[in-house]
Amino acid sequence: MPQLHDVDYTLEYPYTRTTGPVIGPFLTGLRDGRILGQRCGDRVLCPPMEFDPDTFASLEPDLVEVGPGGVVENWTWVAEPSAKHPFDRPFGFAFIKLDGADTALVHAVDTGGDPEAMSTGMRVRAQYRDERHGSVADVYFVPEGDAAEQVIQPGDEPVTITEHLIGLRINEPLYPHRARFAQGLLDGKIIGQRSPVTGKVYVPGRGYDNMSRVLMSEADEVEVSDVGTVVAFTELNPVQYYGQTETEPYVRCSILFDGTDQPVIGIDIRDMTVDEMRVGMRMRCIWRDPEERSVEDIDNRYGNIPETVYARFEPTGEPDIPADELKEHSW
Amino acid sequence: MAPRPCAVLGVGQTKYKRRRDDVTLDGLVREAALRALEDAGATFDDIDAIVIGKAPDALEGVMMPLLSLCDALGAIGKPIHRVHTAGSVGASTAISAVNLVESGMYDTVLTIAYEKQSEGNATWALSGGKSGGQGAGGTFAPWIRNYIARSQAPEHIGWMVAVKDRLNALKNPYAHLHLPDISIEKVRESPMLWDPLHFLESCPSSDGAAAVVLGNDDIAKKSGRPPAWVISHAKRTEFGQFPGRDTVRPQAGVECSEALYRKAGITNPREQIDCAELYVPFSWYEPMWLEGHLIAEEGEGWKMTDAGDTELGGSFPVNMSGGVLSSNPIGASGMIRCLEAANQVRGTAGEYQVPGAKISIGHAYGGAAQYYAMWMVSSELNPVF
Repeated sequence: MPQLHDVDYTLEYPYTRTTGPVIGPFLTGLRDGRILGQRCGDRVLCPPMEFDPDTFASLEPDLVEVGPGGVVENWTWVAEPSAKHPFDRPFGFAFIKLDGADTALVHAVDTGGDPEAMSTGMRVRAQYRDERHGSVADVYFVPEGDAAEQVIQPGDEPVTITEHLIGLRINEPLYPHRARFAQGLLDGKIIGQRSPVTGKVYVPGRGYDNMSRVLMSEADEVEVSDVGTVVAFTELNPVQYYGQTETEPYVRCSILFDGTDQPVIGIDIRDMTVDEMRVGMRMRCIWRDPEERSVEDIDNRYGNIPETVYARFEPTGEPDIPADELKEHSW
Repeated sequence: MAPRPCAVLGVGQTKYKRRRDDVTLDGLVREAALRALEDAGATFDDIDAIVIGKAPDALEGVMMPLLSLCDALGAIGKPIHRVHTAGSVGASTAISAVNLVESGMYDTVLTIAYEKQSEGNATWALSGGKSGGQGAGGTFAPWIRNYIARSQAPEHIGWMVAVKDRLNALKNPYAHLHLPDISIEKVRESPMLWDPLHFLESCPSSDGAAAVVLGNDDIAKKSGRPPAWVISHAKRTEFGQFPGRDTVRPQAGVECSEALYRKAGITNPREQIDCAELYVPFSWYEPMWLEGHLIAEEGEGWKMTDAGDTELGGSFPVNMSGGVLSSNPIGASGMIRCLEAANQVRGTAGEYQVPGAKISIGHAYGGAAQYYAMWMVSSELNPVF
C-alpha cells in the first residue's frame, strides 16, 4: 500500500528583469570586467541608481568606472552558506566602498573560509567569474593581497534583460485533516467533514467550517458517496509555462458528491469531450487498483481528487439533476 | 465627523505593452507617477503619503516591492502603504488612498498600481507553480456558461463585447491592443481557450502602471486642475467557495454596488450614472456585471450589450477606454478603471470622451470573483440627482 508523504516541493520560476538605462550598462560592465558607478551631482553612486536618492530626481545615465579595489566599511559572516549563496564555503558579506565611488556596494568577500581575515577598513579587490552572464554574481571580492591578475574578454551585446530562477522550497508535513483525506483516497474512500453547527458536508474538509467559524476534527469526518453530479465544467487548452506538462485540451469539472454540500473542484476528465459534458450529469468515480493509487500531488494548499487515484469518471446513466437545483453549488 | 471631500487632481498612465523592455520595474512605476504629478501640477514634495498596489508578489517574483520602489516613488521619509486584494487591487488601492485623504490625516496622496507581467507568468502564479493550471479563464468559464444558461443570452453577446472594447481601444493611445480590423467573425474564429471563451474574448498580458494624485478640497481649489470628486466608494468581500454561493451574481458584488449607490444618493444607476469602467477581463463579464452591480435587472444585462447601449455613443457606455480586454497590467487594471472614470468626469478622456459625462464609476473584482472595489466620481462635489 502506498505511504503518505511529507510535502516537499520547490515553487520556482525563471523570472526575467528588464535592466533599463542605468542598471543595464552596470550589468554589461560586470560581464565585461568593469564596475561602473552612476554620477549624481558631485558624487558617484555604486551600485548605480536610476534616481537621486536624496532629491528623487531622475538621473540621466552617466556611468563612470570605479574600483577594482575598495575598502570594507562593515561586514557580516556567513558561516553556513546555502545553495543560493555565491560560495560553498563560509564567506563575508561586506559594504565595500570602491575606489572612486561615494557609496558602498554590498557584496561577497572570499577569504578562503577564514573569518579572521575579515576586518573593517581592509582593502579588497574585484575578481571575476570565468562564466559571466551580466549578473551581479559575475564578480566577487578577495583581500587585495590575494587578488589574481585577470584578463577579461568582453561580450558582444549589451545586457538588456536578465533571467533569475527564483524559488522557495516548501517542506512540511501534511496537515492532519489533509493526511486523513489523502489516506482515504488511497483506500478508495472520499472523506468529508460535517459541520457540527450546520450539518453541511465539505469535501475535502479544511479542518474548519469557514461559514460557522468552528473547528472540525476527525470526529466530524464522514465517508461520502463516490457518485455525484457535475455542477460545472470547462475545457482547458493548456497555456504553456515553466513546469506545465499538459499539452492537449481536456475537460475539468466540479462534482457535487451525493450527501455533500460543496463540490469537489478540479476533477480532470480525459475520455470525454466538452460537448459530452452537461451540468446536472450523474457521474461515478472508477478508482484505480489500490496499488496504482498515489496522492503525491496533494499538498496542504492544492490538490483535491487527483487523477492518480481514479481511472476515470463514468456517467451513471441516471436522469440529469435540473440545473436550478445546483445553482448554489456551482463552485 | 464628516469625511474630508477628496478629489482626483491628476492621473498618469504608461503605454501598456506585452513587454516594456526599455525600463526597469522601478522606471515603469515611476513613469506613471511622474505623469500623474505633472497632470496635478505637483511634485514629489507636495505628496504626504504613498499607497501602492499590485497583484500577488509571485507575478514578478519581487517580494515586498513597496520597499524597493521607495526611491522611484519619492517615498523616502514618507509613509508608504501597500494594498493586496488580488485582481481588484488597483481599485482597492485607489480607495485606500481616498480613505487617507477623507480621514484628514493627509492633504495630498499619491497612489500607484502596476504589473510587469512579462517578468513572470500569471497562469503559473495562479497555479501555485504546478502543472495543469487553469488560469483565471478556466475558473470563470463555467460561471459564464451558467450565466448564459440562466439568462438565455445568445452566444454573440460575448463576441460583441470583444469587438466593442477593442474598437474603443483604438481611441486610447495607452491601450495595449490596437486591433483595427477586429470583427465578430475574427472573434468567433479565434482559438477556443476555455469554452465558451475564445482567444479574442480574453484580456492580454500587459506591462504597465497607473497613478493618481488625490487631494482634499483645499488642495483641489488651489490646484486649479479639473477635479473628479470621489463622492462614494465601497469594498466588499466574500469567501471564494461556500455552499449557497452564487458565482454568477456574487452577493458581495451586489452589496458593494448597493453601498456605493446608497452613499451617493443614487436610486436609479442606469439613469443617474453617465458611463462606467467595469472590470471585464473576459467578454461575458460585461453583461454579468451590469446585472451583478444592479445597472440592469437580472437577465437583462446582455440586452443592453445587444442593443448597443454600452457602446461609446450608447445610452450607458461601458469601458470607453477599451477596458481590461485591451490592456491588462493586472495589479493596475482596477486603478485604470477608476482613473478612466475620473477622466470622463474631468472631461479629459480625449477621443473616447462621453460628451457631458458628470457621474461615472470605476470597478474591479478579484480572486475567485470574491473581492469588489468600486468608486463613483463626479464633476461636482455635491451632485443633485
